[in-house]
Amino acid sequence: MINRRSLLRNSLASGAGLSLLAGMNASTANAADAEPIPIGAALPMSGTAAADGIEFKNGLDLAIEEINAVGGILGRPLELHIEDTAEMGADVVSQAMQRLIDRYGTPVIVNGYNYGTNMVEMDVAADSDVIFIHYNTLISHNNKFKEDPDRYYGSFQGDPPEYYYGPGLLSYLNGLIDSGQWEPANRKIALVASSVEYSIVIANAVREFADQYGWEISLYETVQFPTNQWGPTLAKIRQDEPAVIAVTHFLPQDLAAFMTQFIPQPTNSLVYMQYGPSLPAFKEIGGESVKGVVYSTVVGCLPDDFSEGFRTAYREKFGPTAAYLTGSQTYDGLWKWALSAAIAGGAGEPYDGDQARAVSASMNRLIYRGVNGICRFDPEGQSAYTFPAQTPDASLGMPHQFLQHQDLTQDPVLVAPPAYAKGSFILPPWMS
Amino acid sequence: MDILIAIITTGLTNGALYALATIGLSLVWGSMGMLNMAHGALLALGGYAVFSVATTLGLPVWLAVLAAAGAGALAGVILYICVVRSLIRTAGKNFETSVMIATVGISISLQNALLQVYGGQPLKQPFGVSGAFRIGDSVVPWLNVVIILVSVVVMLGLALLISRTRMGRAIRATAQNREAALLMGVAVERTYLQVLALSGAVAGICGVLVSSVTQLSPTLGADPMLKAFIMCVVAGLGNLPGAVAAAFGLAMIEAGVQFGMGARWGFPVLLMLVIAILIWRPNGLFGRAQIRRM
Repeated sequence: MINRRSLLRNSLASGAGLSLLAGMNASTANAADAEPIPIGAALPMSGTAAADGIEFKNGLDLAIEEINAVGGILGRPLELHIEDTAEMGADVVSQAMQRLIDRYGTPVIVNGYNYGTNMVEMDVAADSDVIFIHYNTLISHNNKFKEDPDRYYGSFQGDPPEYYYGPGLLSYLNGLIDSGQWEPANRKIALVASSVEYSIVIANAVREFADQYGWEISLYETVQFPTNQWGPTLAKIRQDEPAVIAVTHFLPQDLAAFMTQFIPQPTNSLVYMQYGPSLPAFKEIGGESVKGVVYSTVVGCLPDDFSEGFRTAYREKFGPTAAYLTGSQTYDGLWKWALSAAIAGGAGEPYDGDQARAVSASMNRLIYRGVNGICRFDPEGQSAYTFPAQTPDASLGMPHQFLQHQDLTQDPVLVAPPAYAKGSFILPPWMS
Repeated sequence: MDILIAIITTGLTNGALYALATIGLSLVWGSMGMLNMAHGALLALGGYAVFSVATTLGLPVWLAVLAAAGAGALAGVILYICVVRSLIRTAGKNFETSVMIATVGISISLQNALLQVYGGQPLKQPFGVSGAFRIGDSVVPWLNVVIILVSVVVMLGLALLISRTRMGRAIRATAQNREAALLMGVAVERTYLQVLALSGAVAGICGVLVSSVTQLSPTLGADPMLKAFIMCVVAGLGNLPGAVAAAFGLAMIEAGVQFGMGARWGFPVLLMLVIAILIWRPNGLFGRAQIRRM
């Protein structure tokens, strides 16, 4: 059982948030006696994305436990309600969110990601005057927000859009060359995307900026989602060896299969992958063949002292193999909302537009240092700023982290950006 | 040359997996007129059974593969006793529709049960073969060879069982004409039970082979199930040799298209081909026309 004293002592990660919230709660009634605030989450708890859905719920559970331990929000404890979005899609996700609002009266819905929604969630939130926080990591959120900022005032993307992976990767590659850490055989990139919006937007962004950064796209291959037989794709890559193979597909088991099929006949290419290598399953399935793989994420728990308390608490509560990198997203999202709601004078309720706008304004003002780094919303698109592609100031943007699997007995090494790096890039074994 | 070898390796491996998934589905359809929508979930069950026996209990992998076949067979038996038997007795002319809907429900339940027990994170399948051998400049993984060989052995075993044994004769008789088989003294209900157990066992082994490539997740059977259904329709529902030929043929075409036109075109071209075949031969390549009284 968690209590206020042990929480404040152990959780370095949310220490500032805990103290702030505890201070604001000091003059209010005991949380246990007050009416709970319903918190909604429409998550893929079954189906292909269930692994991530479970971690998103874990992140919310942990945040709620911590927030309630310091008195909830102005004396009201939080209570989580989940709706399963299974295979996702616009119809399923919008109905799940509407059920949360109608059944439980949730003033906020904190989702992880749901794909195939065309950002219809923003309409549900707008029509019901609730705050909606998500980690779909899509530029389409920004585009939709720009269409009508007054209508979509309550929708926030807690991380930067996927679009910034493109310039971020190219900038990182050039940094490796400029610093003498890597000497590529040519300036060709083979792009391998899968047929989902997230993957394609990233691949397109790399292609869009390649020329500007001095690179040439020698292959652009789109594979089915999911996919595990990489033979024909690898045969194409081997026909014209690129300096970089960038796989923007993101399922860890498929990416591990790519590496196990690549390693018996490797090319002299740096292998960059998307998101999947951050999950324990990638290393577990791929074994030695994943050693040397570089990947990046625009959102993920930083391997620093600040987030140590969170990582420890997460693994203690959910087991040693739990993926805190995923759970950290909803954890930070709920914490930022809780602080903003407390500052705004309360969480409000659905269809209370005035209070929802007050909370929204508070979220926009609050620069929150969470376990994923800084969350500060870009007023143009209401997504988190990314550092360094959008802002050169590390204290004003969420770091675009580049990591490499170096020692399989340890966690991957954060190799960029330099402000957060814990080690240096090493040449993968198949290239050295 | 190395491209050709890559295409053949992928085509044969996928063909073997599709064929194994297809014969399980086709066997049940051919003998019982039942489209088992839970077949994909039985594949997943087989994959996880190997994980439990080999990784959790630490027993030898060969024993775990047998356990996967056993788990699939047992699931087939339970499916028959708890659901199919009742539907045969009560659903009458609506049996085909009722059983399809019922097995969709069973499939969802089984997938979610696996999710609850094993969690959602993908797990490493303990059945695997490392290493590769070279043909010229090309590298062929031993795992692909093992998948093809095991599939062929299982298919040959099933063919022998159906053509040479008393049980196989009963299955064939029931498939040809249920009423005539009953009049000739065939225990049709027992035959149905055997068919579902056999199909479940094949699905269990197929699940092990599929997950040696895809690794373990509760939905691992969904894609092979979809492809198997397509192969069944192309071959003509219930035609076992046709299903195997269709599986290998379409898998080779898919691999060729993936290389020639791009990986994303593999499945769409496969579907277009299926549509063309069904326009040309509505009962499938090897199927026979059926006359039904309405």
